[in-house]
Amino acid sequence: MGGVTTASSPAGVPAAAAATGPATEPAVPFLEIETLRAREFIPAAKEALASRISEEAQDRLLRPVFNWAGRNSLFPLHWGLACCAIEFAAAFGARWDAERFGVVPRSSPRQCDLLIVNGTVTWKVAHKLITLYEQMPEPKWVIAMGNCATGGGPFRTAYSVVPGVDKLVPVDVYIAGCPPRPEAMLDGILKLETLIKERGE
Amino acid sequence: MTGAASGVGPDRLLARFPQGILGIDPFPGTAGRLRFDPAIALELFREVRDTLGYTHLAMVAGIDWVQTREVLYAVWSDAGRRYLLLSAQLPADHPHIESATAVWPSANWHEREAWELVDISFDHHPDLRNLLLPTGYQFHPLLRSFKLHEPEELEVKVRDV
Ligand code: SF4
Repeated sequence: MGGVTTASSPAGVPAAAAATGPATEPAVPFLEIETLRAREFIPAAKEALASRISEEAQDRLLRPVFNWAGRNSLFPLHWGLACCAIEFAAAFGARWDAERFGVVPRSSPRQCDLLIVNGTVTWKVAHKLITLYEQMPEPKWVIAMGNCATGGGPFRTAYSVVPGVDKLVPVDVYIAGCPPRPEAMLDGILKLETLIKERGE
Repeated sequence: MTGAASGVGPDRLLARFPQGILGIDPFPGTAGRLRFDPAIALELFREVRDTLGYTHLAMVAGIDWVQTREVLYAVWSDAGRRYLLLSAQLPADHPHIESATAVWPSANWHEREAWELVDISFDHHPDLRNLLLPTGYQFHPLLRSFKLHEPEELEVKVRDV
C-alpha cells in the first residue's frame, strides 16, 4: 500500500465520514475509490461527498480524519547517516518498538512523509539529502535527530560538515543528544504528532 | 631489510636510474623507502612493477611539509609479500607529478584524494575531480595553511553541484 499518510487508510476513513453524513445512499463510490492511487483519493472522496454535504461540512468532517490518520502513521525514510542511525535502529527494535506508534521506516522516499536526519550531514551528501526530501510527497515533515543534524555537533567547525541541517531543509522538530536515546527519539516523534495536530495539516 | 635476497629489493634499480633515485632508506616492515626525482616518476613506476614485481598499489598519500610537498606511494609485491615505499618531494608552489594510473589503475581515487586535500596535481590523470569533498569546493583542507572556519564562512553552493 502506498504511504501517503493523509490517505493511507482508504478503507476505514470514508466509512467513518460517510456514517456522519446523510446515510441514505449505499457507499458504493468508496469501493471504487479504494482502488485509486493515494494522491487521487482526497479529491475523489471530496467529489463523492460533494453531492451530499456542503464544502465547509466536508472540511470539518474530512480534515480531522485525515489529520488523525496522518499523524498516527508517520513513515520515516530508512536512511542511516552516522552514529545516530544506530539509536534510530534501536528505537525500532524489540525493546522500544517505535512501530506501536505507527512509525514504520520505508526504504523509498516516495513512500515516506517523515525525514529523520540521523547523523552528520557533510556538504558532499547535502544535495542528495535535498533530492530525497524533494522526492517525498506532501505533506512531509523533518526531524533533526542529534546534535550533528541540529547544529553540526562536535564537527561544527570542520571543513566538510553542514552546520545544521536546517540550512538545507525546513526542520519541524529538533532532538538534542549525542546520540539521543531511543526514548528521546520517540519523544520527538510524539512531539511531531502533537505539532501536526495543532497545525491541523 | 634493503635489497633482501628475495629479489624484490629496490637496489637493482640504482643502476637503471643513477640520477633519478636520490636514496634508499631502511624502513621497518618494508623493503625500504625509495626517494626519487619526480622527473622519472613514470619510468620508475614501470620498472618497479615489471622488474621488481610490485603489482599492487596500496596507497598514495600527500604530505604538506610547508617548504615542500611530499607524495608517498606504498606498493605491494605478492611474490615477495612485502611493501615498498616510494617518495618524492615536490615544490610547494605548483606541486605536480606524473599520474601513476597508467601503471597501477588503483591510483585513480587515491590521487583524486591527494589532489583535493593537499593540492598536488597529477599530470595526465584521466579524471581529476573531487572525491570526498563537494564539487567546486574552494579549499584544500589538509594543508597546514588551512584555518578552521566559522561555519558561516565556509560557503558551499550545494544547489550548483
Ligand atoms: S550527534 Fe553524536 S551520535 Fe549523533 S551523529 Fe553526531 S556525533 Fe554521532
